[in-house]
Amino acid sequence: MTPALGKSLLRLFTVQGSYDYERMQGIGVGVAEEPLLRDLRAAANGGGGGAAYRAAVARSAHFFNAHPYLCGLAVGAAARAEHEGVPPAQVERLRAALCGPLGSLGDRLVWAGWLPLMSALALIGVALGGGWRAIIGFLALYNAGHVALRWWALRAGWAHGMGVAAALHQPVLQRAAALSGPAMALAVGAALPLAAQYLSGAFTGWSRGAVAVVAAGGFALLWWRRGKLTGLRLGLALLAVAALAAGLWR
Amino acid sequence: MSLETLLLLLAWGTLVGLDLVSVPQVMIARPIVAGPVAGAILGDPWTGFALGVLFELFQYDVLPVGAARYPEYGPATVAAVSAAHAAGGGGGEALGIGLGALVGLVTGMMGGTSMHLVRRLNARATHAANERLEAGDARVLVRLHLAGILRDATRAALVTALGLGLGQLARALVVGALTVRGVTLLDVAAVSAGIAAGAAGTLRLVGRGPGLRWFAAGVVGGAAVAWLR
Repeated sequence: MTPALGKSLLRLFTVQGSYDYERMQGIGVGVAEEPLLRDLRAAANGGGGGAAYRAAVARSAHFFNAHPYLCGLAVGAAARAEHEGVPPAQVERLRAALCGPLGSLGDRLVWAGWLPLMSALALIGVALGGGWRAIIGFLALYNAGHVALRWWALRAGWAHGMGVAAALHQPVLQRAAALSGPAMALAVGAALPLAAQYLSGAFTGWSRGAVAVVAAGGFALLWWRRGKLTGLRLGLALLAVAALAAGLWR
Repeated sequence: MSLETLLLLLAWGTLVGLDLVSVPQVMIARPIVAGPVAGAILGDPWTGFALGVLFELFQYDVLPVGAARYPEYGPATVAAVSAAHAAGGGGGEALGIGLGALVGLVTGMMGGTSMHLVRRLNARATHAANERLEAGDARVLVRLHLAGILRDATRAALVTALGLGLGQLARALVVGALTVRGVTLLDVAAVSAGIAAGAAGTLRLVGRGPGLRWFAAGVVGGAAVAWLR
């Protein structure tokens, strides 16, 4: 790993630190790309290195929005393209073209796959009495995948430059995206009854039955009013009703 | 609760709040991690694990894609554990779960709103520095980024502090006024809502495709293990 790539990778861990509604991750991506652009300052670039560097830094901080773990792919690819003297408009088009695929792939692979899968395994571990081992296992396993993905993305972007689309079609990546969905569904499905049992362990008699009935009713409500009613609102509403009932039923 | 414990909870809540979006997204922000550590700080891991599991179920209702607005359950879980510990006396009873959930859900809502505000502040700061950014000033770029992280850390600390304060307030107002039956009702409401949110959120994610069969197989398997234990 070159020092510049190392710096860029470290900065990628903060890529959403200055997230805003205008440039989205733009500023963070610019900060992560900057170490890879420093070579452009050298006089070897036709003597106008300073101007090339500043123009590239300015472009790197423009609007960008994708999955944070895969931003490195765009960072590496754009930086490589800048080094290869690709016309600015083409670099901008590359960044814009990568937003959608990187967002979609990352959401499927991580937010809707790897993360809930690992979280469900942690829930199962805790529910079965694994305690701290389940938590430490979750952090270790999840982050092994997380860090590997960030590192792969940056390296693939830096290696492929303008041809980075090829990296996205890697069979391993496609296979992982295809497998993570069913694995997540299976694990979370198994975690739900075990977590329910773990949480209702302290209840006895009528309260156990009440949990089953209210949970079923709450689920039906959330399903029927999906898009309008959230888990948070349902929770607050049920707690308000329970507080009211507690006041009346003494 | 000693000042030292309170400061430790505040520091943990701030780290957890920063982790969710800004730095470094290693998922200490997940309730299943944030809760037990908060419990350990309080010397009450049982409450930490229970609230961690409960809020992890609520977390399944959230898919943090794009610029979506969602509740922030990390610092919320820290506040929830603190409130539940105070209400339950730390003796491993489930008495404080309902109160903890109430405090946590309100804190989660405040956390979500505060993230939206910070993003707007970041946009304003970026807007003000637009000219120098377009000139390719790397120092301005880095400064803007660091300021954004600092803003998020301040936000996370404020949300955690508000949550911890809310927990103390709720304990003072609610605990003495509730009978054991009332406390059980709150617990039932909290646990039921968590299970419902977890199930509905996962089903939305799984959809009607082949994943549904895997989900059903998981539920059957999990239920069988739960029944056999």
